[in-house]
Amino acid sequence: MRVVHYLNQFFGGVGGEERAGMRLEEREGAAGPGRLLEQLLGGNAKIVKTLVCGDNYAVEHQDEVIASVLKKVQEAKAELFIAGPCFEAGRYGMISGALCSAVQSELAIPVVTAMAGENPGADLYREALYIIDSGPSSAKMRDVLVKMAELAKKLVAREEIGLPGEEGYLRRGLIRDEFVEQTAAKRLVDMIMAKVTGGPFESEMVPTSFEPIPMPPAVKDLSKARVMLITDGGLVPKGNPDRIEGSAATRWGAYSIEGLDDLKGDDYEISHGGYDPRFVQEDPDRLVPLDAMREMEREGKIGKLHNEFLSTSGLANPLSNTRRIGREMAEKVKKEGIDAVILTST
Amino acid sequence: MRLTLARHPVTDIRFETATRLEGTSLFVDVEELRRNILEDDSLRNVDFETVCPGENCRAAPVFDIIEPRAKEAGGSQDFPGILGSPVTAGMGTTHLLAGAAVTVLGERAAGGSGGAIGRVLEMSGPAAGGSPYSSLNHLIVIPHARSGIPNHAVQKAYRVAGLKASVYLARAALSQRPASIETFDPVGPTEKGHEGLPRVAYVGQIFSRQRKPEVDEQILYGANTDGMLPVLLHPDEWLDGALVPSYYSSLGGAETYFYQNHPVITELYRRHHARELNFVGTVATIAGSDNEDRDRNCRAAASLVKWVLNAEAAVLTKYGGGVPHADLAETARLLEGMGVRTAVMVSDMSRDRRVESALLFNFPEVNAIVYCGGNGTSWNAPQVERVITGSPEAGEALAGLREIGAYNVAGVANQQGASRLRAVVY
Repeated sequence: MRVVHYLNQFFGGVGGEERAGMRLEEREGAAGPGRLLEQLLGGNAKIVKTLVCGDNYAVEHQDEVIASVLKKVQEAKAELFIAGPCFEAGRYGMISGALCSAVQSELAIPVVTAMAGENPGADLYREALYIIDSGPSSAKMRDVLVKMAELAKKLVAREEIGLPGEEGYLRRGLIRDEFVEQTAAKRLVDMIMAKVTGGPFESEMVPTSFEPIPMPPAVKDLSKARVMLITDGGLVPKGNPDRIEGSAATRWGAYSIEGLDDLKGDDYEISHGGYDPRFVQEDPDRLVPLDAMREMEREGKIGKLHNEFLSTSGLANPLSNTRRIGREMAEKVKKEGIDAVILTST
Repeated sequence: MRLTLARHPVTDIRFETATRLEGTSLFVDVEELRRNILEDDSLRNVDFETVCPGENCRAAPVFDIIEPRAKEAGGSQDFPGILGSPVTAGMGTTHLLAGAAVTVLGERAAGGSGGAIGRVLEMSGPAAGGSPYSSLNHLIVIPHARSGIPNHAVQKAYRVAGLKASVYLARAALSQRPASIETFDPVGPTEKGHEGLPRVAYVGQIFSRQRKPEVDEQILYGANTDGMLPVLLHPDEWLDGALVPSYYSSLGGAETYFYQNHPVITELYRRHHARELNFVGTVATIAGSDNEDRDRNCRAAASLVKWVLNAEAAVLTKYGGGVPHADLAETARLLEGMGVRTAVMVSDMSRDRRVESALLFNFPEVNAIVYCGGNGTSWNAPQVERVITGSPEAGEALAGLREIGAYNVAGVANQQGASRLRAVVY
């Protein structure tokens, strides 16, 4: 098995911080921790090339370094790419994560790296990669290399990868399913018995905490404000021109209300599988309150209602979708010079 | 209230001229059963098939799966409120054909998360290993509705056909000596004999008001649950025909079979008998359609658990997708606030399989979560020798099937507690 190993200037034996500006260099065979790693990989594993780069150079010229590493790994006909271990070294962790991620997606070969959970590279790449938890101290080098080698062998052999605690990698925050011996009902009653008697129990899922979103400053003068209506209730013109999905939507649309004082059910449909749409279908103003907003516009309570409303479907949508949709809508709101948005949901 | 279950194991089902149970062989006079089912004017015809465990076969779309059960004279009625008057279920002796099932196929999939093929009875292959239904002997009932009948009436006809078939089959066992008899110990907050043990209640959702139930959609004692508040039920009422599922269910699904063999209730009973806990009762509840409905239901369910059942712990299950998920968590949060410890069972909400999308709540006190998976998990669907369907369209979809998702296999991600699927975080 042909392996390419990436190291920074320090572990590559070139020098400390004073050499952090060195460009990417290539060595034949294993170097530094790579020698033990090669032994631990065992069998026919051979580190055919070691790539060494200064940490400053690597992060300052990341695109260039990624491109040359990809080229060299491909030329070496590598079947496995390993970077680090990086411990707490932040720049080293960042570039190792970036390189592994690029090699994995571009060349589709197994990759392994290792770093401390606190390494900024871990935050960025733990979801995309198996990153062995190296802890902060390079005194644990041998233990870390053993775990890296074991995991790498399994990845190459396409064996099933165990849980973070078993394999020693940082939790990626992903979910997969397996069949277990006990039914859900049995697990449920086991759990309540442990909880009510004060015994230990392990929840099968842990909630995620999110940063609180600060309240934006109040609109200074509503009578001069440009207001926009946005809904996630799935109201779309008849025929659903943007093909907004009724569940886990990836798209949103902007629909003109210019010259309209009232929305008619005949002109719209609802692409949303999570609520009883009959009342909105009967009168879409119940979801997108155009009639009420026009009245406020005439009375001078608001400055102007923007001439289109934005719509998507908010059902069973993963955050990876909704974050992007939210960002795209926010850009649109900014571009249109909107002062206030009314969000209506179902 | 005292329910006795008389079990008659069945190991094969055969079509014959006279319906009878001989040993563990069930002989079925399908002509008599057909006449019985076609008493319903909404149906123009009905077909039957038999399927045995491990057979190289799949059937779809599944409308419902029911264990054949019949009440002995002197007790309550078979499926009260649907087949008979709505007397209290759970009294007297119920004969059941263990290892057998009546599986009703629809003529088209109900839609929702089931897609074009709906829920599939998978009897062989990798997915079947995860479904308790693959180890049963099925009488497949394929009703054909008259054209021009509104959809809700068609669904009601399917419902009644399945329940009638279930009772018809099990009546063959009434005159026979059961292989085993099980009687449940009394449960309830005032029952004696379990003092000092943790007092545990079950809170189960039976419907979600994201959709208005059909006017003749019979769920609880024949009622469609519209406007219903959470209600106390004796556990035996769940087991003995008071409840059937809604016509629509999302994610892992629910079937009559696992009301009759309710995994959570039977597990609580088992430990009640083993004197590990004191099973004080159950509450059937509904996921709300709006904030007020939700508050009202969640608070009423929590109050019944705390102030009527006097429970110190409760286990909760949901019915459906996101709204039920959020309502279940809110009920648990309220209970925790009243000093009642909770554990909840939820199905998978993470379309992108990321932990951050998995739960629709973040209450520190709702920290005991059983997480059945389902999203994005699928298995190779092997070619089968026999495909049984209710319609040509479903037949086409099944013939082209190469892969089958967890939510499409009846039983695999069941929301009543029968699932052995578990999500693992890595």
